[in-house]
Amino acid sequence: MLWYKSWLETRWRFLIGFALLMLSAMGCVFGYPRVIQLLPAASSIDAGGEIGRRIKEAVQLAGTYRGYVWSQWFGQELLQMWTLFAALVGSGSVFSRVSGDAAPFTLSLPASRNRVLGIRAATGFAELFVLAFVPSLIIPLCSPVIGQSYSFGDALVYSTCLFVAGSAFYCLALLLSTVFNDLWRPLMITCGVALVLALGEQALRSASGGGIFRVMSAQTYFQTGSLPWAGLVVSLALSSAMLYGADANIARRDF
Amino acid sequence: MSEALVIEAADLRKEFDGVAALRGLTFQVPAGRICGFLGKNGAGKTTCIKVLLGMARPTSGQARVFGLPASDQTSSVEIRRRTGFVSEEKDLYDFMTVDEMIRFTRDFFPRWRNDLADRYLKSFELPRDRKVKALSRGMRTKLALLLALSRGAELLILDEPTSGLDPAASEEVLQALIGHVATEQMTVFFSSHQIAEVEQIADSVVIIDTGRAIVSGELDVLREQFRRIELVFDGEAPDVAFQAPGVQRVQRKGRVMTIVCSMGSDSVLDETRPLAPVSVQVAPVTLKEIFLGTIHKED
Repeated sequence: MLWYKSWLETRWRFLIGFALLMLSAMGCVFGYPRVIQLLPAASSIDAGGEIGRRIKEAVQLAGTYRGYVWSQWFGQELLQMWTLFAALVGSGSVFSRVSGDAAPFTLSLPASRNRVLGIRAATGFAELFVLAFVPSLIIPLCSPVIGQSYSFGDALVYSTCLFVAGSAFYCLALLLSTVFNDLWRPLMITCGVALVLALGEQALRSASGGGIFRVMSAQTYFQTGSLPWAGLVVSLALSSAMLYGADANIARRDF
Repeated sequence: MSEALVIEAADLRKEFDGVAALRGLTFQVPAGRICGFLGKNGAGKTTCIKVLLGMARPTSGQARVFGLPASDQTSSVEIRRRTGFVSEEKDLYDFMTVDEMIRFTRDFFPRWRNDLADRYLKSFELPRDRKVKALSRGMRTKLALLLALSRGAELLILDEPTSGLDPAASEEVLQALIGHVATEQMTVFFSSHQIAEVEQIADSVVIIDTGRAIVSGELDVLREQFRRIELVFDGEAPDVAFQAPGVQRVQRKGRVMTIVCSMGSDSVLDETRPLAPVSVQVAPVTLKEIFLGTIHKED
């Protein structure tokens, strides 16, 4: 029943995220014909500096369906929205009063704190797994409708990288949720960390490989076909450390 | 033969950020008792209950429930399996319906009593399909009580069970509790600052003040031991520091001196004789007087 409780606690955040990501994935696929039409006009834009370079890059990527899907979906929409929902699903303390949770009641049940946290974490992981994979698989499924094709294998690789590396944000939110009793502080801090990292990666775009968002979008896989193993391992290690921290923190806390 | 103890607190201390909530709390609750846990707001009642249930860890000292150490994680799970609990806030899961709350709680307790759950659902007139967030405070308290009583628990811990309820709802909750304890074999430990409530249902009492137990024992024995002595003098009542053991409170008002003592009245009366009072009256005291007498002394 703890599974059921965890599901009830997070279901709206998950369902809203799922609906938005599904719509966004379909929008990405069905928007491609319009993008193709606009490509010649976009190519003629003569802007200098960073904006000009970005337009050029986007036009270049949109030249192929594979490039378009990666840049629009795996590199932007899914990446940003999934990160936001990872922070949302992870936020809200296991024993807080968020959304009517009742800490004293939960703590009076014959279940160890670690078990309650473990089930809460596993529920969140399952939801984020669905958010990472199901909308992404819509792309190869719907692509034939617009006369394109997209590899299921690629969709799985990108989703896996997103899920494995991005789980660090979920674990951070979960760790913070064992420190703070409200939903907002873990959410804001996690989003703040994500924003700082994203801006840092933008500023240091010349630096090759590094950066969690590059690992999440599997940039190296798109560009060279090689998986970002080092980034994935580091992210996994970070996630494990944060989960361990959350577990230790919940065990020692007074309520 | 000594009675089996369900709750034992020995020199229990708990500090929160340097502030002492419990300062050497020691008391025992034997099996089968209905023990009222009395104290002012902030006396440490809720902290003590949290320690007993493993929600907070003592800074020092030991709490044992069913002979198991409450601060040990594994033992704590076993303690909670055998204990029904109603928190002061009566917070339940707002997002669940009454029926979902019952099914959710039932799954944790192997000795769950469906017959009791059904009976209390009916007698408390709880709407099965209504969300907890839509329940009134009284209804919420009744649901919390149903969930605690149906666990098949050996011990019931209630933290201010009637707080925030109107007198009618309070009475209904207390009657349900009395009725339950009359038919089920269990120990009840309930905190309150409603003295009348404790007097109505408890057979023993622990009075706590500033994190220490200052009175503890069977209510009948306490009533036997505690006495109020009223002395009337010709002139102003003298200012005397009594040496007799058990003097809890001495009040002077004009010609009248009132003494509340906890170890019988004989030795105090011996000490008052040289003061030559014109009138001496010894009377039994109420729990309220015991409470006020002992609490005030600590202030």
